Amino acid sequence: MNSFTWKVARFEIVRQLKKPAFWAATLLMPLLIGGIYFISFISSQGVDENPEISEDTKVAITDEAGVFSAQAPYIINGDKEYGIEMLKNGEVDLYFYIPQDFLETRKAEFYHVSEGLEILNFDANILKSLMMQDAASRVDPADILALTGGYEIEDKKITKDGSDSNALGKAIIPFVVGILFFFFITLCGNRFLMCVVEEKENRISEMILTSVSSKHLIVGKIIAMLTLGFVQMLALIIPVGILVFINRDGQIIAPILAMIEIDPVTITLSIVLFVFSAVFYAGTCTLVGSLVATAKDASSFIGPAIIAMVFPLYFMQAFMVEPTLIVQFLTYFPPSAPIALMLRSGFGTISTPEYCASLAVIAVTAVIVIRLAIVSFQKNAINFGTVNLLKKKSKKS
Amino acid sequence: MKNIVEVKNFKMTFVNKTVIKDLSFDVKKGEIFGLLGANGSGKTTTVRALLGFYPATGGELLVDGKPYNPEDSSVNIGYLPEERGLYRKETVIDTLEYFGELNGVKEPREWGMKYLKRVGLEDKANERVEKLSGGQQQKIQLGITIMGDPKLLILDEPTKGFDPMNRRLLMDIIEEHHKKGAAIIMITHYMDEVEKLCDRALLLKDGVARAYGSIAEIKKEFGGKSLDQIFVDVYGGENE
Repeated sequence: MNSFTWKVARFEIVRQLKKPAFWAATLLMPLLIGGIYFISFISSQGVDENPEISEDTKVAITDEAGVFSAQAPYIINGDKEYGIEMLKNGEVDLYFYIPQDFLETRKAEFYHVSEGLEILNFDANILKSLMMQDAASRVDPADILALTGGYEIEDKKITKDGSDSNALGKAIIPFVVGILFFFFITLCGNRFLMCVVEEKENRISEMILTSVSSKHLIVGKIIAMLTLGFVQMLALIIPVGILVFINRDGQIIAPILAMIEIDPVTITLSIVLFVFSAVFYAGTCTLVGSLVATAKDASSFIGPAIIAMVFPLYFMQAFMVEPTLIVQFLTYFPPSAPIALMLRSGFGTISTPEYCASLAVIAVTAVIVIRLAIVSFQKNAINFGTVNLLKKKSKKS
Repeated sequence: MKNIVEVKNFKMTFVNKTVIKDLSFDVKKGEIFGLLGANGSGKTTTVRALLGFYPATGGELLVDGKPYNPEDSSVNIGYLPEERGLYRKETVIDTLEYFGELNGVKEPREWGMKYLKRVGLEDKANERVEKLSGGQQQKIQLGITIMGDPKLLILDEPTKGFDPMNRRLLMDIIEEHHKKGAAIIMITHYMDEVEKLCDRALLLKDGVARAYGSIAEIKKEFGGKSLDQIFVDVYGGENE
């Protein structure tokens, strides 16, 4: 890397790292994911499907509906008022009242002495558990298995020629890359635009371009912004990866992990696509930033830029089948090509040579837009104030 | 004396407006050169073309014998433009360090601290630029201009908006760098500054040179009038 490019990149990286806004944006998503996981973890603790009553816990049940068998424990002869009185006197810790019409209404009542700090009802499933235990003593284990659905069905899909298709498993990696790319453009787009507007807005471009060429300035800035973007992506990937690892044997994660098809070609192409797309997007935003004069002008382009990128999602159905003309167009049209490629790769409707051809289109266009951004920045470096090339053009038309 | 700047048959046209018709002049190494003219006469355009911001429509603009390349370490230019600013959110010392690095200063942070001490701003080193007063920001801009001991200083309306303290500082800096052998191009409206500081000057009007030479030669050409009077005569009393 040219020393000027490196100096610019280092300056841009360090100054962004010093900004609280950068860290807020970087850590927001992992914190959100962690928060959601924590809440779901707490919730799952609260709704234990098979709670066990400790030996010290005293339970009483009034069963007017006759749900329990006669020999079941905890059943008392007294009515509801009697049961509540037992709870008040401290004779029992928990009291359940099963009314006569329970089988029609399916509503039972649960009483306990409040200690004022209950967040979730930890004991609500005790009645269910007791009923299941009681039922289990009365019926055949095969009946229980049939009734509770406590078994798994392994999903085996086959194609017409009899081979294992696993279409969903093949789609996971491209779709994950697609989601990451979406996060990337939404998190970084504004920064890409602003990083080149700043020199003009602060009227510093003449001074800086006397010290460094626009080529090394723009390339340095792009390298810095991409590095920061990748750091933000890592901040997202690492906690998610840790959570997936922790829950790798969980009911939801385990089948998904088992399904993922690790194909080195798909993984390599997906990573290359992500990098090329990121560079292309950075170049495009930089080009727009170099054409406008102020941050306000620049910010109005971020929305359309994202829409152009995610445009293929509007034609999702078309991407699932054999490629139509519109799908072909979106695959080779540079702004929509990244998402189009991710979709087609996910749905398995693109060959490797076609994928590489589209990648080449993205790479070549990225180089062109970066070169245009360099020329444009040099030419517009002294367009201060509200003078704006894009506005001028739109006014003319 | 060798030339550090050579402008030969320079022409500049924007869309359909010709700003510079045919301009030729040179600036010698170690001299202080005044580039004079009313607003819109093409002074700043000439400097911007010299620095490569505008591609010339015709002619040649050379710095030390070749078109200017900001990354060529053999020619370090210190440029104080008319439109000047700073990275407002950065600290003073980080700003000086960054520009110092770009201008090839060996220990830019130390250089920055030394400069801040000289101009009485050492206690502001870690302040954000936006917290500084206008006058204090001017001092930082001056510091950036003289980093790396430039061989050529281009000062576009250097005293514009400067308070008397900073004007004095600027004059000291000009004198100091002149003594070190730097050439200085001053774009100014203040004829007293030109008479006091400049060895030679060029007076532009409508994109052509109306007077060019040493201050004595120009005065002689206009019948021994003062530069102020010459300016008024050339512009025919036009209101600037």
